[in-house]
Amino acid sequence: MRDNWTILETDVLVVGGGVAGTMAAIPALEAGLKVVLCEKGKVLDHCGSIGCGVDHYLTVMDTGPEWDTPEFLIKHVPELTDYIVDMAVAGRVIREMPRIFRILESFGVDFKDRMTGDYYRLRSFGLPGTYHINFDGTDFKKHIGERVRKGKATVLMRTMVVQLLVADNRAYGAIAFNFRSGEWCAIRAKSVVLAAGDVNRISRNASGLAFDSWHFPYNTGDAQAMGYRAGAMLANMESVEATLTPKGFSCQGLNALVSLGAYFVNKRGERFMFKYDGKGENARRAVIADAAINEYLLGNGPVYLDCRHLPQEMLDRMEFTLQVDRYTLPAFYRQKGVNFREELVEISVSELSIRRSGVYFRGSGLAVDENGETSIEALFAAGDCATVSGGIAGAAVLGHIAGEGVVQRVRSTNGALPAIDLRAVEAIRAQSESHLGRRDGIAWQGFEDAIRQTVTDYVGVRRNEAGLKLALSSLGALARREPSLLAEDLHGLMRVHEAKNIRMNAEIMATASLARRETRTGSSHRRLDYPQTDEDNWRKFVIVDRGGDGPRVHTLSTERPLSDAFERSTAAA
Amino acid sequence: MANAKIHNPIAIDPEKCVRCDLCDWICPGDLIHHEEGNKAKLPVIAYPDECWYCGLCQSICPVNAITVVFPEQMVRNRTDVVKLLGKVVE
Repeated sequence: MRDNWTILETDVLVVGGGVAGTMAAIPALEAGLKVVLCEKGKVLDHCGSIGCGVDHYLTVMDTGPEWDTPEFLIKHVPELTDYIVDMAVAGRVIREMPRIFRILESFGVDFKDRMTGDYYRLRSFGLPGTYHINFDGTDFKKHIGERVRKGKATVLMRTMVVQLLVADNRAYGAIAFNFRSGEWCAIRAKSVVLAAGDVNRISRNASGLAFDSWHFPYNTGDAQAMGYRAGAMLANMESVEATLTPKGFSCQGLNALVSLGAYFVNKRGERFMFKYDGKGENARRAVIADAAINEYLLGNGPVYLDCRHLPQEMLDRMEFTLQVDRYTLPAFYRQKGVNFREELVEISVSELSIRRSGVYFRGSGLAVDENGETSIEALFAAGDCATVSGGIAGAAVLGHIAGEGVVQRVRSTNGALPAIDLRAVEAIRAQSESHLGRRDGIAWQGFEDAIRQTVTDYVGVRRNEAGLKLALSSLGALARREPSLLAEDLHGLMRVHEAKNIRMNAEIMATASLARRETRTGSSHRRLDYPQTDEDNWRKFVIVDRGGDGPRVHTLSTERPLSDAFERSTAAA
Repeated sequence: MANAKIHNPIAIDPEKCVRCDLCDWICPGDLIHHEEGNKAKLPVIAYPDECWYCGLCQSICPVNAITVVFPEQMVRNRTDVVKLLGKVVE
């Protein structure tokens, strides 16, 4: 083989070092399995969704009151998700919440409030109880990353996985490259966990800067695209997510704002949220975003954040909490010359992303069973790339479940894994490297801009059949240009792969959106040509997988688990 | 690589910088490059238009040599939000 190839043999390959990936690695390491973890950044010590700390954690604690039991929350999940949810998987995630919470505490995570010494639990996003613990989670992820290091996982940083190795619907590894050194790696593994996060950089935002995004712009649906290409099923990909952000800076913080009592007002000073939901600012994120979108479309914009009524103590807590999630937000306000305590702050609707559409427990991504295993045997998924997603807590719980599933899968693996086909992996590398050092070609930045404009205009918050077909045609034309993408260096080659993955996800999203002929969860899936929610015909999942000539759509009643659509028969024992 | 017209999101004070590699190490987007151990050279913001303004570099810098600077289109944004909300094709 050529220079700069490394062949690794391992029990488990984890793609992504965020909360889900590291939590999946831990049970495997504890069971004595060999683990290789690939990570594009160096985020073992930070969250993979936002790259910083954590300011809240959603959990049932089982402390006594009925609302704090898994069964109580589970009962409310169908309504919270507008009935599009895999209850088999969501139910398991919620039942495991208290156990995983205690595991995290045993790692050294301190969920208690520094001022009171007790858990500071707040209600937000339409949940039927005070399930969100607000805390200083600056070091939350350090405790988890430390476990992975102590467990002696092989961690490959600045390394992008570009293709899965799958034979006979069974995963046996992946191909990756280090975009600093140019070293290529073929990793043969008995199980693979995909935990590479959500899909960002997929639509336009107020600043027009592609990397100014609410969630990590370096999460580009790599897991979803790789899984799709390998034959895995994806679901709920039609649902998009947006949030409200200070105009010009797409940053986190909506949870802290609404749970601590901030208001949103329109240009006439009207507090408009109650027009859309009886819970007002405490409604689900999807509803809050939808309300602001409607106000803008009605000509009632700008929309403003209003904190002027809040007591100093609450404002202090808000300011402190906001910078845990995004360290630079206070500096942004300072540079902008705005004092959010005393002035209105203009708010924009953020760029769109594919994650969980502003609804807890309804993830958009790789369909998984109760063990976190996808439709491909020995291929697992967790976190924001899987069909049950619930922020940091969802990633922690499903990640740990997937890690336990991996242990079972590795132990029940019978028969030898396929050998790495050296000629095939050389061909994958040659195709990738054909983007490097071309004399001519198209820049990935412009290619991505075209995707974002298409998604914003036709696949965003106002959809119809004509627009979606136009988008699919544009995205198809872009696909034909992919071989001409130009990478100026290894870093650029990583971005070229990301750009292709973003386009793939946009095509899957447009395909799923075209299939769902109804509107559901407001702007998460608004079909102007089918404006009503159709409970008689559309309490169904839209499942997309790879067909002979592009994405293929199936539907499945939400009364059944997504795994009923899987063709593999064996669940891990 | 860096283009003169592109806003530089990360200002590094050459007087304070101790060339320790931490900003290169922590940058989640692989934007900041510094040759490990090279005490003569400052870190380079190799891909400034790929910054997402998290400030991790500023927060980890042991000598406070880094300041995150937001560009004009972020702090004084004039975009019509309605234009982000889709076009209706008849």
